[in-house]
Amino acid sequence: MSFEPLGENRFIVPIGPQHPALKEPGHFEFVVDGEIVTGASVRLGYVHRGIEKGAEDRTWIQNLYLMERICGICSHIHATAFVQGVEKLAGVEAPPRARAIREVFAELERIHSHMLWLGVAAHEGGFDALFMYSWRDREVVMDMLEMLSGNRVHYSANLIGGVKYDLNPEMMDKIRDGLNYLEERLAHYLDVVNHDETFIGRTRGIGTMTREQAQLLGAVGPTARASNFAFDVRVDAPYAAYAEFPVEMVVAQEGDLHARFVVRILETMESIRVLRRIFDNLPESELVTRVPRRIPAGETISRVEAPRGELFYFIASSGGEKPERVKVRTPSLCNWGTVITLAVGHKLADMPMILAGIDPCFSCNDRLVMVKRNHQDPQVWTWADLRNYGIEYYR
Amino acid sequence: MSSLEETLQRAENLLQPYGQSFNRPELNRLDVYLQRENLLAAVQALLEARWGYLSTITGIDRPSAAVEEGQTPTEGEIEVLYSFCSGAAVVSLRVRAPYSDAALPSICPLIPSATLGERELMEMFGVKVEGTPDTSRLILADSWPEGVYPLRKSFVPAARFSGEAKGG
Repeated sequence: MSFEPLGENRFIVPIGPQHPALKEPGHFEFVVDGEIVTGASVRLGYVHRGIEKGAEDRTWIQNLYLMERICGICSHIHATAFVQGVEKLAGVEAPPRARAIREVFAELERIHSHMLWLGVAAHEGGFDALFMYSWRDREVVMDMLEMLSGNRVHYSANLIGGVKYDLNPEMMDKIRDGLNYLEERLAHYLDVVNHDETFIGRTRGIGTMTREQAQLLGAVGPTARASNFAFDVRVDAPYAAYAEFPVEMVVAQEGDLHARFVVRILETMESIRVLRRIFDNLPESELVTRVPRRIPAGETISRVEAPRGELFYFIASSGGEKPERVKVRTPSLCNWGTVITLAVGHKLADMPMILAGIDPCFSCNDRLVMVKRNHQDPQVWTWADLRNYGIEYYR
Repeated sequence: MSSLEETLQRAENLLQPYGQSFNRPELNRLDVYLQRENLLAAVQALLEARWGYLSTITGIDRPSAAVEEGQTPTEGEIEVLYSFCSGAAVVSLRVRAPYSDAALPSICPLIPSATLGERELMEMFGVKVEGTPDTSRLILADSWPEGVYPLRKSFVPAARFSGEAKGG
């Protein structure tokens, strides 16, 4: 974007790239006219690690571990997208029990990711009690993942051709108990989101995106579904065991921030329901099938539903021990495009919530500089200042 | 006919005037090979029919193959896939641009959110995207040298991964 035609009363508000309170760095610039945002741009790359290039230098097995490390929140789903693509190229299918266990990990991961987001988004809105409660409860699902795999973050459940970990009845009973507790808590959070006056004031009618906008801007996942753009890879193109253990798609009509909260909470409850169904009917089979070391030449596209939306892998093999090309398009990239567009016309005070509303895998900034044209002293704000500004604005 | 098949068939009909050749690499996929002059019209056709959404822009470097004696060497190319998804169906518009004229038209006038994908193409593959609204760096560092495109096969990182386990 161009910063040339700035009028007397316009400001550029840079947000980013560093902030210790958030997960990853990203840089946004908002042009504001008074309180209203009139333009926005994004600069990524602060955590660019050259993974797509690195993939071309590693064997298929080594890449499994590399891909899992693309994200520290939805690590399992990256590995799942990768192994499913490689399995398609190799012409093999993981055994039924392995596919069900992949779904178990994926849904547990979704629960932890959505609860993490609920806390972060509530915090950005100045609702720290909700933040602390939801993160406390999230520990329940983190403990489940640790029990199953020994790990809280990189569970490393996938193998090319299957999974490493099995479930036994004792584990499933423990998880059922935890899920019962979480279901109760989520019902409470849904009640809070729907009935708390202050919360509704910060979310209803804010950052509204129509279905047409969602489609044109390429929104994915809960962000899109909250705008009634009904698309969920788990439902539309079932993978893993989603054909045997389907999930109901959660959509909302409103398209505002409030709808994004409701959709994510209801989705989390749906994950709990599908997990129970899997535990009641877990198929018996081997955990892994044999896969050739060299993957036959070919190209495939592997799509899965990450917690933040559609995750897209393009994998090309030239028949060797290493891939020819691996392209990864993460859901946040799509949803960033919506933020840049939706920000325009909104109040600066709404930016923290609108940014948090897409559940971005990004980080915000250590400081914010308000630069007034022809003004000697730029006023430097911290992210905490901006957040407080937003909270004060609505007080 | 399944609805997946119908969806793909509908895309194939829409793209018939623009595609040079059509291919079904997998059950849920349709690849449409295009001349770059037809790219915008093809995207427009999908948009007007409200066929799916643009999911990803993927660049692939296709360096010239090793030549045997007596053959003329072919020029390397950058191939770009514009993948549109509708339900389980994926349609990829595939265009190629030779190294010497690595340029493609921007689809941002039709799909504004394509800007991120186009900026990635410019930085990582050295494709000039004509008419794209923002040409500033998206991914690579500001200090990254001009004219060095990391996802081209000719780019070799200074420290290459050895792939061997350490210790013992």
